[in-house]
Amino acid sequence: MIKVENLHKNYGELRVLNGIDADIDEGECIAIIGGSGAGKSVFLRSMAMLEIPDQGTIWIEGENITTPGFNLNKMREKMGMVYQGFHLFSHLNVLDNITLAPRKILGMSQPKAQQKAMELLEMVGLTAKAKAMPQQLSGGQCQRIAIARCLAMNPKIILFDEPTSALDPTMVGEVLAIIRKLLGRGITMLIVTHEMGFAQDVASRIFYMDEGIIYEQGSPERIFNSPQLPKTKNFIQKLKLFSYEIVSKDFDLIAMVASIDQFCQKYGLTKEHIFTAQLLLEEIVTSLLRKCYTDRQPDIQFTIEYAEFTKKLKLFIVYRGESINIIEEGMDEIQRMILTGKSESYTHSYDSGANHLKMII
Amino acid sequence: MAKKKLHRIINIGFVMVFFALITWGIFQLPRIVEAFYSTIVVSGAYLGIWMGLKVTLALTMAGALLGTFFGALICSMRMSNIRSLQILGQILVAVLRGTPVVMLLMFLYFFVFVGNYIEAMYVAMLGYGLNTGSHMAEIFRTSIEAINPREIEAARMLGFSRSRAFFFITLPQSWKIAKPIYESCIVSLIQWTSVAGYISVTELTRIVNGLGSRTGNPFFALFLGIVIYLGLAYTVRFIFWIDNKRGLAQ
Repeated sequence: MIKVENLHKNYGELRVLNGIDADIDEGECIAIIGGSGAGKSVFLRSMAMLEIPDQGTIWIEGENITTPGFNLNKMREKMGMVYQGFHLFSHLNVLDNITLAPRKILGMSQPKAQQKAMELLEMVGLTAKAKAMPQQLSGGQCQRIAIARCLAMNPKIILFDEPTSALDPTMVGEVLAIIRKLLGRGITMLIVTHEMGFAQDVASRIFYMDEGIIYEQGSPERIFNSPQLPKTKNFIQKLKLFSYEIVSKDFDLIAMVASIDQFCQKYGLTKEHIFTAQLLLEEIVTSLLRKCYTDRQPDIQFTIEYAEFTKKLKLFIVYRGESINIIEEGMDEIQRMILTGKSESYTHSYDSGANHLKMII
Repeated sequence: MAKKKLHRIINIGFVMVFFALITWGIFQLPRIVEAFYSTIVVSGAYLGIWMGLKVTLALTMAGALLGTFFGALICSMRMSNIRSLQILGQILVAVLRGTPVVMLLMFLYFFVFVGNYIEAMYVAMLGYGLNTGSHMAEIFRTSIEAINPREIEAARMLGFSRSRAFFFITLPQSWKIAKPIYESCIVSLIQWTSVAGYISVTELTRIVNGLGSRTGNPFFALFLGIVIYLGLAYTVRFIFWIDNKRGLAQ
């Protein structure tokens, strides 16, 4: 279906694509992952010749689209693209956004195009918004419309360029659900994404991009559970850390809770996770202040560690002073129940004047 | 206390002056109507004014049409990928927009087309077209540049060719942005046609001016002239208003 050979792209001195080779079969769903600046988007955009490669060839359905003078318009009719920023036509309402291309390009009649559009709107669950203007919709709704607009052309290939990166965490799910619906319809999909869990679920193959090439590729199990190459390992097992220090009794509790929230939001943790982390830390810190630091300034540090792939959250709390297991000795029954109930496990250890408390949520 | 009294006296004074003026007006009305009738109607001056109005209208329409054409042309030059065309477009805008209309008209009539026996009217139309075009080129360019290029890319990805994407996506959106400025450009064009008399085109202002000096009573002619120009400006406003309403209804 798609065959890429030795694809190069430079921007001045910067080498973005450094000889990509890929072979994609019909109906495959490829997730392209990698750090920022790895060339994921450029690779995706060059499939539609939106970026003209400096060197290399791309075959789509046996046709070399990199030949000069190739009819790209005809090729793009079979190919859809969903953008990070949606890019709906801002002067047209939802229905016209979807029907414009089928009417003008495929020559479909107005009623037929509208009927098809309504079917698509039903699929994305937005029939009620047919007459709305794009500006009146939320990000998630816009993206669902953008997917419907793309599907109206019956594409054989859909390129998703970070379809959920510009969305509020609460809206990511609705868009991913629509993309899931497209699986098994014989559409070849290439998805650049940072949603690792999603990539693992839907992709038939994962491309990990680094150094301007497809550094490692394979089934989701292989890439996520046993990556072979050092950079892939590094990327997959990468941890996100957040540390906070409390050295004064009148520290700003609200600010602390807010910054935990900010950190968790940034990495797309679920609401429940965020709430639990906040609750546990708040309980522990206030108990510590009450129990251990009545007559002196506190010395508490905590770190939140989030393994992006396993979606496990670990809390490390270090507090200086005598050995005291705050959960056993410094809390009432109810607090203890909450803490043990919310966390998967916890351990306490004491080492040269510092208590270490580890919790896994 | 004293202040309040003063205010009262001033108020009463105003009211009295106002009534005095009205009364004077009522007594004078027959004379005014008579004078108007004799200078404008009896003398047949209205025929001249009608002729002048037609010329002004013709100049405006030709100026607007040619201006839109030249504007689009210069705009496409400025936005083209060819460097030399870009520079040529910039120079055209700078020269045409920077030159006073009267100078441009005189330059065309007394220098460029001299001896070609081209009627002054056509020279004026060309001059207004060029001048308006230079303004419109900039209006078009800025409103096209205001469009999100990613929307156009999205259209290209659906299979629209460059020109069709321009026609279906860029044009409707940028026209909406350009409309208010385009409208005021045409209104100011109407007013600038009043200097076409410099190259012997007998448009409305020239007629009105002649009428004033011939009858020795410029008031009525000027008054009528101003009212007509105002009427024209509001007609343009009205046309765009209707267009807006229709756009909103869709």
